[in-house]
Amino acid sequence: MRSKLAFAVALSIAAPGLVATPVLAQKQGGTLRVYHRDNLPSGSIHEEATISTVQPFMGVFNNLVLFDQQKPLNTPETIIPDLADSWAWDATKTKLTFKLHPDVKWHDGKPFTAKDVQCTWNKLTGKDPDDFRKNPRAIWWQNLKEVTVNGDLEATFVLNRPQPSFLSMFASGYTPVYPCHVSTKDMRTNPIGTGPFKFVELKRGDSVKFVRNPDYWKKGKPYLDGIDWKVIENRSTRVLAFVAGEFDMTFGTDITIPLLKDINSQAPQAICELAPSYVSINLIINPKAAPFNDPTIRKAMALALDRKTFIDILSNGKDDISGVMLPPPEGVWGMPPEMLAALPGYSTDIEKSRAEARKIMEGLGYSESKVLKVKVATRNISVYRDPAVILIDQLKKVYIDGELEVVDTSIWHAKVTRGDYSVGLNLTGVSVDDPDVNLYENYSCNSERNLTQYCNKDVDALIDKQSQETDFDKRKKIVWEIERKLAEDLARPIINYQRLATCWQPQVKGFVLHRNSIYNNWRYEDVWLDK
Amino acid sequence: MGAYIVRRLLLMLVTLIGMSILIFVMLRLVPGNITDIIFDSAGFVNPAQKKKIERQLGLDQPIAVQYVNWIGGLMRGDLGYAYVSEKPAIEEIVPRIPVTAKLAALALIFSTLFGVPLGVLSAVRQNTWLDYVLRVFSLSGLSLPAFWLGLLILMACVHWFGWIPIYRSTPDSPWQELALLCIPAAAVGFRSSALVMRLTRSSMLEVLRQDYIRTARAKGASETAVNYDHALRNAVLPVVTIIGIEAAFLIGGLIVTETVFNIPGVARFLVEAIRWRDYPIVQNLVMFIAIIVVFVNFAIDMMYAVLDPRIKYEE
Amino acid sequence: MAVIDHDAELAKAGANVHGWIGALLFFVRRYPLGAIGAVIMALFVATALFADQISTFDPFTTNARVSLARPGGEHVLGADFMGRDVFARIVYGARISLAVGVGATALGCIIGVTIGLMSGFFGGWFDLLVQRLMDIMQSLPLLVMALVMAASLGPSLSNTIIAIAIPLVPNVARIIRSNTLSLREMPFVEAARAIGMSETRIAVVHVLPNTLAPLIVLATAQLGSAILVESALAFLGLGVPEPHPSWGRMLSESAAEYVRTAPWLVIFPGVAISAVVFGTNLFGDALRDLLDPRQRI
Repeated sequence: MRSKLAFAVALSIAAPGLVATPVLAQKQGGTLRVYHRDNLPSGSIHEEATISTVQPFMGVFNNLVLFDQQKPLNTPETIIPDLADSWAWDATKTKLTFKLHPDVKWHDGKPFTAKDVQCTWNKLTGKDPDDFRKNPRAIWWQNLKEVTVNGDLEATFVLNRPQPSFLSMFASGYTPVYPCHVSTKDMRTNPIGTGPFKFVELKRGDSVKFVRNPDYWKKGKPYLDGIDWKVIENRSTRVLAFVAGEFDMTFGTDITIPLLKDINSQAPQAICELAPSYVSINLIINPKAAPFNDPTIRKAMALALDRKTFIDILSNGKDDISGVMLPPPEGVWGMPPEMLAALPGYSTDIEKSRAEARKIMEGLGYSESKVLKVKVATRNISVYRDPAVILIDQLKKVYIDGELEVVDTSIWHAKVTRGDYSVGLNLTGVSVDDPDVNLYENYSCNSERNLTQYCNKDVDALIDKQSQETDFDKRKKIVWEIERKLAEDLARPIINYQRLATCWQPQVKGFVLHRNSIYNNWRYEDVWLDK
Repeated sequence: MGAYIVRRLLLMLVTLIGMSILIFVMLRLVPGNITDIIFDSAGFVNPAQKKKIERQLGLDQPIAVQYVNWIGGLMRGDLGYAYVSEKPAIEEIVPRIPVTAKLAALALIFSTLFGVPLGVLSAVRQNTWLDYVLRVFSLSGLSLPAFWLGLLILMACVHWFGWIPIYRSTPDSPWQELALLCIPAAAVGFRSSALVMRLTRSSMLEVLRQDYIRTARAKGASETAVNYDHALRNAVLPVVTIIGIEAAFLIGGLIVTETVFNIPGVARFLVEAIRWRDYPIVQNLVMFIAIIVVFVNFAIDMMYAVLDPRIKYEE
Repeated sequence: MAVIDHDAELAKAGANVHGWIGALLFFVRRYPLGAIGAVIMALFVATALFADQISTFDPFTTNARVSLARPGGEHVLGADFMGRDVFARIVYGARISLAVGVGATALGCIIGVTIGLMSGFFGGWFDLLVQRLMDIMQSLPLLVMALVMAASLGPSLSNTIIAIAIPLVPNVARIIRSNTLSLREMPFVEAARAIGMSETRIAVVHVLPNTLAPLIVLATAQLGSAILVESALAFLGLGVPEPHPSWGRMLSESAAEYVRTAPWLVIFPGVAISAVVFGTNLFGDALRDLLDPRQRI
């Protein structure tokens, strides 16, 4: 009798563990060794717009809410609590109140309160005197009127108008919460967060080190003792090192398709996943530079593009042809292929398009003997140069003689912002698969990231309209209408969206690669080493 | 002699000051400066924010003022702040020096150990087939691009041993660190050894022609004694010069080899800093290199004076 | 006119100098290695000049289907990542190496000779100033100086030539200056002055031809250095930019990605650079033994 009772008690204690087996299988300990591919600009995520900063430093912080690290697709349905235990909109849908988790401490021991939330967003909206040196995502918060706090554990965001996608912006790796009591300068060199890993040191060109936060408020996590990043700028060397077992994981999205074949053959035990990176190769045409202020010439250029050849050369055919939003199946807003093929410049009949382009050019007085000479500007790194070379090759077919002008990487953005170019080849990364993020950042009239300074009031109005639309299908239709207009205006023709791979050794467990963003996946708090 | 030393030191000072002005001005001719790079990683440029950063970094002041600030700082031992890492430049430069020093020392040892005996051999067996082979070999060493040699070695390691020599900043033991450094040191040292071989050969030949060798031979000393005793001792002096010339040669080789083998040393840092337009780092590193070159030349000249009393120093 | 009679010297050395053929045969017999070097250099120049005829492909056309093709078949030396023919890029790359190598050496020599002559002749403050300037420029190794200059000027073909030419100037200037100093006291120069020849005319007509021998030797040596520095600059990302096919940049692109998967991309451009510099050095060595035994190394 007693033994049966004892057995029942034992079973009832053990049962939850048996049901939730995955939780118990994690092993504590071990340092994850990852390589980094170039020099980090700084450790302050809010001031940068590159994966080079987000990937290592996301583990130092928490957000208010986060895209579930364990689910491969980021959607509004996969947003889970982080520092905010719960959140709710008010009736007017213009006030979003977050209830914060109690007893959270910053890495230096100070307590986390709602004031820190207010400080962070004051810095982002320029209301704080110690604001950011650079603020690449200021446009995300253009609809934010103010942040109010109610005690230590409640913060309310007040918007000017309803914006259904607003919450998604909090869930990105680009939106950590910063402390009030650390200056923005110190956050660049010695960032303090509430996250699972503490920053140890950054040796430029050599390594970045993080160590486990023993007082992390999510008990039991992280499982790793630390993360060591080693900087290796030469891709051959770092891939060889990964294959040789020197690293547990590659840098996210570092593995191109040709390298993937190499890794699969040299290190068959490694787990590699190919996923869209939401980084597009796009063409920028300066509408103020003659003769490209003539929309017909721009159209001729767009008709000359053979996207399939780009994709064949650059990725063995694996990349995606797309419009502005990431195409299905990974992207929820992208146009289906039939609709895409109908857009101006996307026809699959390349010969016909090019013939049409040649006719346009002939109408303007160009021919095989009288070509239009143009400089194609691009950054002096291979991932920009290679597509530019292909582009020049293709433009030759429509009487445009392009000459490659490599621009020193450091002055690329300055040069483009000044308008000191005619045609350029550019790469653009999008951090959240949401039209509010993609369209506002890249195509709205007052966005600083709108490189070509494309400004169409009708499109702006449409972008605002879809931003307030709550019905998903209706919103999608408006987005598609915007896509059509952007394709007609040749605002920034997207050539393709890249697919890139990330690899890890079999002992790395608990890591799930996101399939529609490369910037939101790097908290590392669920990752453990099976050694 | 004392007056000569003082004059040389003054001239060296003038040279170094001139170099500091030259490098300072050249860097600021550069299209684009650090603020552009700072914004590059943010994907856009905001002119107002750019001006603010320029003011913070003191870049909006006239060039002459910026120069005086830098030189003044140097006198106090303050090398300024690195633009990219926002740490004191000295904290970025000094930790990288030991690796490069070890690599350079290993390369010098390699090149001397290899180059001097072969050079002597080549001189002593002048115009024999051995001499021709060695001369072609040394000439090919001078014709290979240093970085290509490094790449070939890397490829060989990968293809034949399936292994890649990756430098660890926290090695398991000093022996492991030295062993790992031997491979890039061989790449750097190979070219230097070719130079050493050729210079040793020519100075040996000069010496062998000298009157006092003929005298020694006439006095009946054996061939071996003549070669290794008299000749070599007198050839030491030019070899010392050779090592001095080599120092400048070596720095170029270190730059590319550290890049190929991913070694976080001060030579590779120069290239990185140039790329980032990190003026304080580039200025200080270039001055560092100039000081080394100038002082090595001075030391060589002084050693000449000490070792060879035939040389007089009048100007 | 000149005091040093090279023909007489050569005849003393046993050359049969009747005509160019005789001189040539003498050179080949006496300096076989130098002859080989001369042949290599001639091949290099010929390749650069007749690139269009030699190569079946052009170095710019991309072709996805042959991406990373192995050597053999249509693409004799293989193809790179974008399907561009490696043989074509090497052949056209010879043009760039020739342009930069010869251009930088020539520019450096012209500037160096002018400065050296003026410095030797005018002396005084000008000479002192120039000496110091040359000292300053020589306080940095060639690659470092070229690196900083290339970064300052920006990536382009002409800027690369300038960036390599300037650091080459001090060596030339020094040699020309010391030769000028010794030559200018010689009797025939005094005689020329006595009959009223201007200093400039003396410099150009009398002094310069006698400094040619060491100058040629130096120039050949510097040609090799210039080609090596150009490839190093390209490798570090600061040399001749796209679309010019530079051997050094071919190496930096292939080293970044294809060390294991496509080793031919790493081997062939390097062989090209080494062969050309080797030829230059061989020829330069022989030339030095012939023309200026004082500099013998």
